[in-house]
Amino acid sequence: MAAAEEKTAVTIEQLRARIRKLEAAPREEGSVLTTGVQPFDGLFPGGGLPLGQTVELCGEAASGRTTLALRAIAAAQREGGLAAFVDGPGQLYAPAAVAQGVDLPRMLRVRLPEPERLLWTAVQLARSGAFRCVVLDPDGTGVHPRAPEIKRLQDAAFRGGTLVLWLSTPRRPGEGTVRIGLEATAEGLRAEVRRSRQGGLGAQTWIPWEMLWPVLRSSGAQVGPAPLLPPRPEELSTVGSGPHRSGWHGHGAPRPGRDMPLPALGQMLGERPGRRPVRTVVPVGDGPLR
Amino acid sequence: MRLGYLHLPRFPLQRRLVESRSWVGRPAVLWEMIRGGKRITFASQAAQGAGVRPGMTLSEATAREASLLQAPHLPEETFEALLGLGESLLTLSPAFQVDDPEGLWLDASATHLSGGEEGWGEAVLAQVESQGLQGRVVLADQAFTARALARVEGLAVRAIPPGAEAEALAPLSWRVLAEGMKGTFLDGLERMGLTTVAELASLPPGALLTRGGTQGLLLQRRALGLDRAPFVPTPLPEKLEERLSFDWPATVLEPMLFGLKTLVDRLCARLSGRRRAAMRVGLTLELEGGDAALLSISLARPTRAAKLLLELVRHRLDGVSLEAPVVALVLSVEEEGPDPGHQRLLGAGPDGEAALEVVLSRLAGALGDEALGTVALRDHHRPERAVQAEPFRPPSHPTGLGLIPPDRTLDGAGPQASPTEQSRPSRLLTPPVRLEVQLRGESLLGVRLSGGWKRTLGLAGPERLAGEWWGKDAYARDYYRACLEGVGWVWLFRDARDGGFFLHGLFD
Repeated sequence: MAAAEEKTAVTIEQLRARIRKLEAAPREEGSVLTTGVQPFDGLFPGGGLPLGQTVELCGEAASGRTTLALRAIAAAQREGGLAAFVDGPGQLYAPAAVAQGVDLPRMLRVRLPEPERLLWTAVQLARSGAFRCVVLDPDGTGVHPRAPEIKRLQDAAFRGGTLVLWLSTPRRPGEGTVRIGLEATAEGLRAEVRRSRQGGLGAQTWIPWEMLWPVLRSSGAQVGPAPLLPPRPEELSTVGSGPHRSGWHGHGAPRPGRDMPLPALGQMLGERPGRRPVRTVVPVGDGPLR
Repeated sequence: MRLGYLHLPRFPLQRRLVESRSWVGRPAVLWEMIRGGKRITFASQAAQGAGVRPGMTLSEATAREASLLQAPHLPEETFEALLGLGESLLTLSPAFQVDDPEGLWLDASATHLSGGEEGWGEAVLAQVESQGLQGRVVLADQAFTARALARVEGLAVRAIPPGAEAEALAPLSWRVLAEGMKGTFLDGLERMGLTTVAELASLPPGALLTRGGTQGLLLQRRALGLDRAPFVPTPLPEKLEERLSFDWPATVLEPMLFGLKTLVDRLCARLSGRRRAAMRVGLTLELEGGDAALLSISLARPTRAAKLLLELVRHRLDGVSLEAPVVALVLSVEEEGPDPGHQRLLGAGPDGEAALEVVLSRLAGALGDEALGTVALRDHHRPERAVQAEPFRPPSHPTGLGLIPPDRTLDGAGPQASPTEQSRPSRLLTPPVRLEVQLRGESLLGVRLSGGWKRTLGLAGPERLAGEWWGKDAYARDYYRACLEGVGWVWLFRDARDGGFFLHGLFD
């Protein structure tokens, strides 16, 4: 009986030692975060953004970088992890994050009083291992990291098993282990692997906008040069100039976005009932813009 | 009602030894100003070995022992310390009464939860010893009996069965019954040759009443274990705060860290007793000259882990430079919450919570508390006011079916985003940037961005937002989503006030 108890104690101690060893070791590189945007995830050999690495999303100001980063954050949170967004320009807009599936209370947002600390902050967050995904957005801050800082960030990502997403622009590229170039067109995003040590260099894919923002598919129709809805004359003349009794302002007025229906773009464009609406995004072609 | 009495011999001195390592093993005394003179109230064993006794004047004691360490005894601090100790025992005893300056009565009605009365007493002593203190516990039906027996030398834990109080008190000196009493009657008892409680108990009650009045009767009731002094629980203080004064002003970190460890241990023990956890902790460094430096540490998740709190405080002190030496430390819980407990998941890193708190503390120290947080949605139509900053306090990830919040699904995904949220850009420019646009009739041909004209490839909208007409911040905007050549989708609006166009967001 005593021998059996002793054997059990030894086994438990061996298991404890093994758990300690596993916990102390850096996370395996094999694990990935899948954003749910299948064409994008397919660019990576593991079928998703690799944990423990610095992935650079390089594109213009509205090329879908932030949205893809938010998708990665949502994926990290779904797995029980926390995420951090180092918001250099302070432009992250929370409603869009919610729309991409982000759980806001579990996303740390860092607003920096001094942009010089941007990279240091990302290193601390990544190295701690407390965050599964850290997004670094230095857009517009003028920060240009030096080689040792970049190396520190890559080491921190590896050590903490953290996915670091670096949002950069073609004019000021970052130094990610993997670089994905993003280019926006009217119909969608073109993504290309421009740097990778794990193969797949030059691989391209096409991501329709609807995959990122379903609202762009269902918001109306128009043909030709894009028309605007003319503002109501009384609005232009009365807003900000005191009490109104136009029916548009004051007590009993419709509350925008709640009980006031938005103007129907189809009607404005002469759409007839029963007619199937055409696509939202239509190239203007060679308009008079010169 | 069963009561336990925890006696802590020379408690103020014991506490002093915990705070000042240099006092350990040396002759030391605490004194009070009594009738204009400094009189010894507590003397350590080493001091007593040198002939120093409580009641002596300080100069007399110093004459007997030249190397005597001495400090004033502050009764209000002792009371606060006993209060804190009582709080830390609330997990074992639902109520306590402070018996200043050396003991506590504890409600012992739940001893069955700790393995009986002996087990309960041992648990109390273990908790006391974890704070560096030593004591004795006696359980009895009467408060007086428990106290009298605990104050005499004996076993660490002793339980007096109901009805056996008189028997237990019998061998003690009858003087233990007369504590706090004065008068010639007591001298008379002495002259009669009485020595033990048993002898006093056997005297005829009528004779005692005749000779000693109520004093005599009370003495005998105590001797027979019939004293019915009520147990009056001491109310808990609203604010959790611990204070430590240094013997000498601290100029380096090490003595401060030693003192901080003591404070953190005490504070966490009190939190533990209340089943609460700290969410924000304040540290006040009182400086020589009257100034003070305040530090605040916000926690992402409520905790009462002393090790973690101490590490966070240490991190926060790393970058602090002070203008004068520190004379005292005050650690307080500024915000508290229910203790959520902690259950590690399989595969979770060791001290996973600690890693989060430590990195947040380090960042807060370097960047300021206001740099860290999260954002929450507000019910507001004006887009730039539809969000607000909040402290970062992430809820733990659900670990079981029963723990999944009602608004979340099994895979952890949140509720479906509203149509408004789905139509908002991922970046918002604050303030909006005025745009130069090219129109043909009512058609938007392009906008000027980054020094060049960008052709409009597509347009959707408008979404008309207006409001706050009653104030100075009235607004009326027609929002459009526009796809610009070489840029992507942007969110712009035409302001009804002047018809101007503004770039407000980017669908990045």
